[in-house]
Amino acid sequence: MIKRLFDWLKQPLGMIAVGIAFLALFSLAAYGISLTQQPPAQPVQFTHKLHVSFGIQCLYCHPGAAKGPAAGIPSQEKCWGCHNQIQKTMTSELLKPLKDSVLSGTPLQWVPVAQVPDFVQFNHRAHVAAGKNCEECHGDMTQVTIAENPQVMNMGWCLNCHTETAGENHELLVKLTDCGTCHY
Amino acid sequence: MSNKFSRRDFLKLAGVGAATTAILTGCGPASRYVKREPYMQMPEYTYNGQSTYYATTCRECAAGCGLVVRTSQGRAIKVEGNANNPLNLGKTCARGQAALQGLYNPNRVRGPIKHARSERLYDAVTFEDASANLDWDAATQAVADALKNNKPEEIAFLMGMAPDHLFDLAADLAAATGINAPVRFGALGMYESRATLSKAAENLFGQSGLPLFDVGGAQVVFSFGANFLETWLSPVSYTRGFAGLRQAQTKMRGTLVQFESRMSATASKADEWLPLRPGTEALVALAIGKLAAELRGVTIPHAFATADPAEAAEKSGIELATLEHLAETFAGSEGALAIPGGSALGQSNGLAVAEAVLALNAFAANFGKPGGVFFSAFAPSQTKYQGPVSAQEMQEFTQKMADGKFKVLFVHGVNPVFELPASFGFKEALKGVGQVISFATFPDETAQEADYIFPDHHSLESWGYQRVATGPAQSVLSGAQPVVSPFYDTRATADVLIAAAQLAGGEFAAALPFKDEVEFLQSKVAPLMNEADGFYSAADLNTFMAYFQQYGGWWKTSDGRAVPVPGDALNHAISAEEAAFAGEGEFFLLPFVSPTLAEAGANKPWLQELPDSTTTVMWNTWAEINPETAHELGLEDDDVVKIVSEAGAVEVPVYRYPAIRPDTIAIPFGQGHTAYGQYAEGRGVNPADLIARHFNEAGDLAFAGVKVKIEKTGRKQPLSRMESIMGVYGAGLGEEQ
Repeated sequence: MIKRLFDWLKQPLGMIAVGIAFLALFSLAAYGISLTQQPPAQPVQFTHKLHVSFGIQCLYCHPGAAKGPAAGIPSQEKCWGCHNQIQKTMTSELLKPLKDSVLSGTPLQWVPVAQVPDFVQFNHRAHVAAGKNCEECHGDMTQVTIAENPQVMNMGWCLNCHTETAGENHELLVKLTDCGTCHY
Repeated sequence: MSNKFSRRDFLKLAGVGAATTAILTGCGPASRYVKREPYMQMPEYTYNGQSTYYATTCRECAAGCGLVVRTSQGRAIKVEGNANNPLNLGKTCARGQAALQGLYNPNRVRGPIKHARSERLYDAVTFEDASANLDWDAATQAVADALKNNKPEEIAFLMGMAPDHLFDLAADLAAATGINAPVRFGALGMYESRATLSKAAENLFGQSGLPLFDVGGAQVVFSFGANFLETWLSPVSYTRGFAGLRQAQTKMRGTLVQFESRMSATASKADEWLPLRPGTEALVALAIGKLAAELRGVTIPHAFATADPAEAAEKSGIELATLEHLAETFAGSEGALAIPGGSALGQSNGLAVAEAVLALNAFAANFGKPGGVFFSAFAPSQTKYQGPVSAQEMQEFTQKMADGKFKVLFVHGVNPVFELPASFGFKEALKGVGQVISFATFPDETAQEADYIFPDHHSLESWGYQRVATGPAQSVLSGAQPVVSPFYDTRATADVLIAAAQLAGGEFAAALPFKDEVEFLQSKVAPLMNEADGFYSAADLNTFMAYFQQYGGWWKTSDGRAVPVPGDALNHAISAEEAAFAGEGEFFLLPFVSPTLAEAGANKPWLQELPDSTTTVMWNTWAEINPETAHELGLEDDDVVKIVSEAGAVEVPVYRYPAIRPDTIAIPFGQGHTAYGQYAEGRGVNPADLIARHFNEAGDLAFAGVKVKIEKTGRKQPLSRMESIMGVYGAGLGEEQ
């Protein structure tokens, strides 16, 4: 039966059918991949660009990065600390989710975009302590509204930076490329 | 084309296409996106992604083990032992680990309820909870009215063996206002035969207290029915002692000999298990004493004088040669220790058994020595051992209820409708009480029979302390604090009582002049600041309380154990009679406490799913029957039999257990709930239904003094168990498979 199928595929009509099927599959896959690359929907159209332009430091809202594994998402109380001074908060359509959340006491549900699989034990603190700046991994936040992930955070990307950082220092190289450094 | 392109090929191609799409999209981050909720208000001490740990006290049983609970973002995640606490030194048992499943239990009582007695507290099919129909103001008013509108002698408190701070609060209230002193009871205390043990010690040494057996320091341990690796007194502490017996670096590996008609989990760890005939423990202990004295060539003490080793051998079913060899082991060791407990004492002659076994220790002269017998250190600010009431006293309490002596009954921390044998008639006696107010966290059988349920917080949401009754060398008070905020509209019973006392005014308000539970707790803990030998000290109360919370309690650094004075313990005349058995049947019944389920574990799926350590049965009750007996009766595994005693009958599937005497049937206690939530209800049977009201001289229930009959039902109910479905024997199952 499969043999007959191949015979048929060699005929002109079959070739056309193969072409159409290939195009269909390819475009479907391309569409699927492009879907995965779009930033997910967030509860608030938070503009990083604007907040950074006011001179607010990254660590003001994400202090966990200097202290522990997770940078953290700021509590609504922290947002409200400034926003309850800003009249626009009560009227702006874009800020309505924040206002509703604080007034009703229900937390916003954010979707983190920079993430690694569960089997990777990533710790911000070590990276901040080693002198890495936030934008080296997370991109330039003066250019984006909703946070996007500027690069694929895979193991090759991690290791590139780890080997570059180690340079000629072999002891450091061993430490930074040991499996147990990230997978434990 | 359709005749060339079959359905199967279409499915294949479609499958390949779907898999390709799935793989391509699955590789992207979209498949991993999750939603995260930040705090509305971030607590100061919390960092994202970092856990916070709180020291508290386990309340799954009354031993008072210290816990350290890991919490993350306001949720309790994992329970571990508190390494600082001298009782458990960082260890927990399975029940402690499963405390989390109590906290997150879907059937918790979520708010104050007024309901008709016997009305279900949750739906039988959907398990949806009865909604709370009162607010706490009304609830507090109801308690205040109950206190104010009844005569003091018509008000009774029935409490569990934990927590102690609430018992102290109720005791203070009772002492100041003249209401009945709170009575505390627990099924574990009943099956441990605690009252018998302390009574025997009092008879022999003239001192009252709870004996402590230093298993860890001993060389030879003879245990008569004490299942100290399972539930007996303080299992975590005794298990650590057992580890010391086996693995100490400074001495030889110790030996454990267990005398018990069924091989319990403790007996399975023993070097020798001696399945003696139930009721002959006293004979055997005295015979060993006599033989040991003969071997040592000393005058035979008066206590052992009446013993007849040959008669003991014949009656107990242990060969005389074995008794002689046991006596040799006991007499030949420098560190011999004998422990009486559990089923050996839960018989008509239980007091004599306890005395006989304690006399063996007097003969070994091990009092106050490493590996010997002590009296447990009293908890801080205690001057005498405060045990739970015995079963006999519970019967008197029940009788008073039935006679209408109590107009109002407060119940906290205990579930007597389930824990007491049905023959006590507690459920019926409740009808004689005008108003029953339960403070149950879970919709248990007793709460179901109450007029009001004013739910207390779960122990992981609660303040408190627990006095450590036995286990460590030091005097220990384990402290409890909330590790999470309460999930539901529950309220601490201490707070309810304090608020109600204020509302009732007069002497009630004067008895409890506190703002809340924490203030009461501080008033009780504050005197410890001035005590000597503290593990820590502080100059002011706030610092002291901060340490109390940080370390999970307060304890002394000095050894607080008292040494029994042997006096003329060996001259004490001990009756060498066999136990009397109630009922007609030909089999001895041995109800034993399931180490994991016991009185309150059945509503936690982790514990239900945990295979029993000897039979590997899960989620059910079984009857252990010797394969020989089963063969004679024509019974196979999973055959349902009806077991009948003078008190009642239960139907239960058979488990053929080779490590039990052919004349004995054992059934675990822990299942058979008729309420208590979706995981517990309608599962298995309660062997207590078979136990009639017979007591030993110390007032403990003679639960192991029952004879039963077996009747076939012809039905089968497969037990789920970890081991092969063919069982330990495998063979012989050909025809029914």
